[in-house]
Amino acid sequence: MTTPKTVTVKVSRRFKASPERVFDAWLDPAKARLFLFATPAGEVVRADIDARVGGRFLIADRRDGEDVEHTGEYLEIERPRRLVFTFGVPKFSKDYSRVSIDIVAMDGGSELTLTHEGVLAEYADKTPEGWGMIFDGLTRLLG
Amino acid sequence: MNKALDLTLAALADPTRRAILQRLSHGEARVTELAAPFPISLNSVSKHIRILERARLVRRRRAGREHLLSLEQKPLDEAAAWMAGQRNIWNARLDVLEALLEAEDVASSPGA
Repeated sequence: MTTPKTVTVKVSRRFKASPERVFDAWLDPAKARLFLFATPAGEVVRADIDARVGGRFLIADRRDGEDVEHTGEYLEIERPRRLVFTFGVPKFSKDYSRVSIDIVAMDGGSELTLTHEGVLAEYADKTPEGWGMIFDGLTRLLG
Repeated sequence: MNKALDLTLAALADPTRRAILQRLSHGEARVTELAAPFPISLNSVSKHIRILERARLVRRRRAGREHLLSLEQKPLDEAAAWMAGQRNIWNARLDVLEALLEAEDVASSPGA
C-alpha cells in the first residue's frame, strides 16, 4: 500500500457564453488570475501562460508573505472544444494531477465538463480550508 | 486524517472488498457467511477482511465462539465528504468564471 491513492473528480457547468469565450478564459492570464487558483487570503502576484502544447503556466499567489506556485504543462489545446493540462503545487508535492476540459455548444451557450484525475488523498486535511478560501473569494467578487 | 483516507481508498480499490462491504450493509455476518459467495479460499477472504478492519470499515465482535462482522459507516462518509470537497473547489472556480463572463456581457451590452 505504498502507492498513494487518488480519485477522479468530475464537474459540469452550463454557460451563457459561447464555447470560444469559455475556452479563451482558461488561457487568458487576466482572467485566469481571477478564477483559477486565486484565493482571497492571497494575492495573485504572477500569472504566466505559455498557451501552446508543451508550454507551461505558472500562477503564484502570496499568502501571508509566502508565494505559492500553481504550475503545469499544456498537453492538448484544441480551441474551442478541448484543453488538457497537468497541474501541481511543487511547494506541497512533486506529484502532478491532470485536468481535462471539454466544451460543447449548447442552447446558444456552452457546456463545460471538467475532469480532474489523480487527485491525491494526501491533501484531504488541507481541503476544507482550501475551498473555504475560494468561497470567500467568490463572495467578495460577486459582492 | 489523510492516512485514514488513504486506507479507506485503498480498501475500496478492490471488487471483493467492495462486495464484502455491500453484503455487510444489509447487516452483521459471520466470516463463513461472507466467504460463501466468493470463489476464493476462506483464507483470502480473511485477508480482505483484515484490510477492511485496518481501514476501520469493518468492526469485529465476538459472540461466544463466533466472530461477527459489521460495517462501520464513518470512514465511507468521510471519503464521500472529501470527494464532495474536491468537487466544490472546482465548482467555486467555475462560479467565478461564470460571474466574470457575465460581467463582460453586462459591460458590453448597449445601454449598460
